[in-house]
Amino acid sequence: MLVPTIGIEVHVELKSNAKVYSKAKNAYSNEPNSFVDIIDLGYPGVLPKLNEQVIKNALKACVALNCKINDVMHFDRKNYFYPDLPKGYQITQQDTPIGYDGYLEIEVDGKKKKIGIERIHIEEDTCKSIHSLAGTLLNFNRAGVPLIEIVSKPDIASPEEAVAYVEALRETLLYLGISDVKIEEGSMRCDTNISLKEENAKEFGTKVEIKNIGSITNVGLSLNYEIARQKKLIEDGIKIVEETRRYDDNTNTTILMRVKETGNDYRYFPEPDIPFIYLDKSWITEVKENMPKLPEELREEYKVWGLNNNNIKTLIANAPMSKFLDILNCDKVISANLLTGDILAYLNKHKLNFEDLELKQDLFEELVNMISNNEVSSKQVKELLPVFLEKKISPKSIAKELGLVQISDTNALLDMVKKVISDNPNSVEDYKNGLDRAVKYLMGQIMKASRGQANPQTVSKLLVEELDKIEK
Amino acid sequence: MTNYLSKSVKELNALLKSKEIKPIDLVNEAFSKIEENSYNAFITLNKEEAIKEALELENMEVDNLLFGLPIAIKDNICTKDLKTTCASHMLDNFDPIYDATVIKKIKDCHMIIIGKTNMDEFAMGSTGETSYFPFAQNPWNTSKVPGGSSSGSAACVSGRLTSLALGSDTGGSIRQPASFCGLVGLKPTYGRVSRYGLIAFASSLDQIGPMTTNVMDNAILLGAISGKDDNDLTSSDSEVTHFTHLIGEDVKGMRIAVPNYYMSDVINSEVRNKVKDIISLLEKNGCTVDYVDVPYLEYAIPLYQTIALGEASSNLARFDGIKFGHITDEFSNIEELYKKSRSEGFGAEVKRRIMIGSYVLSGENANIYFRKALKLRKEMTDALVKVFDNYDLIIGPTNTNVAYDFGLKTDDALKCFYDDLLTIPVNMAGLPGLSMPIGFNSEKLPIGMHIIGNYFKEDVIYKLASFIEKELDLDMNPKGGKIC
Repeated sequence: MLVPTIGIEVHVELKSNAKVYSKAKNAYSNEPNSFVDIIDLGYPGVLPKLNEQVIKNALKACVALNCKINDVMHFDRKNYFYPDLPKGYQITQQDTPIGYDGYLEIEVDGKKKKIGIERIHIEEDTCKSIHSLAGTLLNFNRAGVPLIEIVSKPDIASPEEAVAYVEALRETLLYLGISDVKIEEGSMRCDTNISLKEENAKEFGTKVEIKNIGSITNVGLSLNYEIARQKKLIEDGIKIVEETRRYDDNTNTTILMRVKETGNDYRYFPEPDIPFIYLDKSWITEVKENMPKLPEELREEYKVWGLNNNNIKTLIANAPMSKFLDILNCDKVISANLLTGDILAYLNKHKLNFEDLELKQDLFEELVNMISNNEVSSKQVKELLPVFLEKKISPKSIAKELGLVQISDTNALLDMVKKVISDNPNSVEDYKNGLDRAVKYLMGQIMKASRGQANPQTVSKLLVEELDKIEK
Repeated sequence: MTNYLSKSVKELNALLKSKEIKPIDLVNEAFSKIEENSYNAFITLNKEEAIKEALELENMEVDNLLFGLPIAIKDNICTKDLKTTCASHMLDNFDPIYDATVIKKIKDCHMIIIGKTNMDEFAMGSTGETSYFPFAQNPWNTSKVPGGSSSGSAACVSGRLTSLALGSDTGGSIRQPASFCGLVGLKPTYGRVSRYGLIAFASSLDQIGPMTTNVMDNAILLGAISGKDDNDLTSSDSEVTHFTHLIGEDVKGMRIAVPNYYMSDVINSEVRNKVKDIISLLEKNGCTVDYVDVPYLEYAIPLYQTIALGEASSNLARFDGIKFGHITDEFSNIEELYKKSRSEGFGAEVKRRIMIGSYVLSGENANIYFRKALKLRKEMTDALVKVFDNYDLIIGPTNTNVAYDFGLKTDDALKCFYDDLLTIPVNMAGLPGLSMPIGFNSEKLPIGMHIIGNYFKEDVIYKLASFIEKELDLDMNPKGGKIC
């Protein structure tokens, strides 16, 4: 049986205060060529700087992905001619990647597996070429934007694992806060390579590289297509050639870009303009000590708190929300339900991000405590919440204003219960005859009488107690 | 015509301070001399700006030794709004939008840039003959090469068109022309002077340095251009000492090494004899001079061709006709644009070096040549530095010979590298090295001596150089007349 061997190279744009080798801004702009320094242009005579923040962010990725660190490292030049490469070479790390020999754990069908990370290195992005009828235009805003390239080992055995790997990588980098990791917008780019071999064969088959994969879903679709294509070739006795293909998501196929020639000749050599970097031990310690909680750890923690699977999934997918939950000092289950339920619905309805709400921790905790102390009913919360999210003021004061107070005082409620029982002898008789809906009806009457303010749990308890006291 | 530009920095400073002369007098003298005979030292003159600046300085206090002094700048150092061509057709219309760090520094001293000096194209050559422009001449004998690649800076200072110039040195490009033209030229310790704004030839070897008529001026000018620069990660924060503080001190007790290879028969015998005279002089004055074996020196040229040309092939890749520099008139696709622009823009020597450089980095060659060269470079460096365990300085001839006729070496691509045989190891190790005149050969052509110091020990080099200068008391003005 033919089995696939898959490796994945991921380029990730790092967030930073400036570009990796210049002081120009690293940000998105609608205005082309507005964030450009002469260093980004490869202007004659200029020399690269080195942005420490980029190294620190890359270190975070290395630690999170369990990599060994090259604490003495240098940069290298990768030489080739292309209009989007202003210097005629890219400053990258060939010999001494900042991180190497790590792994990332994934889960497919409940089974956990470690996918090896070959290396992580720092490099610079190229210009963006815009091809038009008038010719090719260059936008240098992207030139020199810091990237890390994360290269997996060929440990991935199926398209499902590939998707899980990219998803887990995306989540991890997102939680590290070092990248937007938006694959659709190009801040995360995946190239895969895949070969087929007989299950027990020692040697790998000939690998084919797939580029231009625009979404995580397409990682799986393109690999599935490619497996089928290669299988057919092999079965037909046609030799696979080493080549680069691109995924076309209109036709859901891969299309030949170029056949690999004798190996690219990038004429790598150590970058003489950047001296060797000696990574201070304190940097590495600092990164380790300030590691944020990562998705794997959070999942375990959520289970301990008693959150349900749906809540866990929603929270992990929404990092800012998950971080907010983490800092709360109140009932986590009620908080999680609120966040992933009514608040998420509110966000979707108003097309907002969680950060846009600017939720105040103390006020949110006040709301959760009101719920856990039975001061408001869940029904009342639905009424209170939109006002709270809009006005960002004390939920207690809102409840007061809206008259949303829950009556939990037993004596007051007992009077109501007794009155409803005496007003509805037919229902009492139904109850005695074993008809459960009688309780519901009576409950409704009490809630109506209290204008919704009675605490339903207390009422229900009192009602049943009182009904049981009545002789048949 | 006045002859102030034969005077030393300190003399001129005194005249300026006492208001006996004004900066404009120096500027006028420079341009008059250039008009009379420029030795093709300049590619671009900065006349209008220089005059304007000189007049502006009249109302200012003379606040430093270099205030108001004319200077010439090698044309591979970027000067804002002043054409910087690298003596290449590729950049013959290139007006930089920024000043190199050294230019900022000399402007801060209120020095006046007279013009941009001729050179070998992209600093690739040892005679000035690879320039796209008419070649600079040697003021001692205009049928002789001035040396290179800082050919124009050497011709300029030697002809006293200005008394100060900046050059750049990758394998000997300051010291060899200084030697051929009878000047004092220093390649500082790698990292001493910022390379920001120097259009790179071989980044791990390039240094900018001063070319002057005497040792004291050299030390003063070095002081002005040195220092850590945030724009150059390879610049050193090693303290900028007063480079002049040992000048004039007694040399008694100095320990000096002479590598046997530097006095072997690869060196012209007249040159060797002059160096031997100096050795005797030093011994007579209480120095210990020992001949020592320094391994690997004989590999200088293949090492240079691998490392310098490998780096150069990459550094010159940015000249692709797209953003700056020469662009071909007609092309139908990107490959043609590259090929035609680069074929037309670069001269033969530059093309040859790019090809050799690309070859030594290509595929498996990277291991056979480049990586091996890096190892050899380390060995050569260690061997040289080890000498300083027991010695203060290393001396020898700067070159194997004196200035020679134009055209002599243009027929043989290898020959011109041999001029740098003795200077290259200093660049490989990143050490400071100085060339100074120690006399003439039978044809009255200057002979240069090489003084190599330990890292950041330029002051010790100047100490010995100033002693020799004083003892020899040579007239190094080609037109004669130490006194104006």
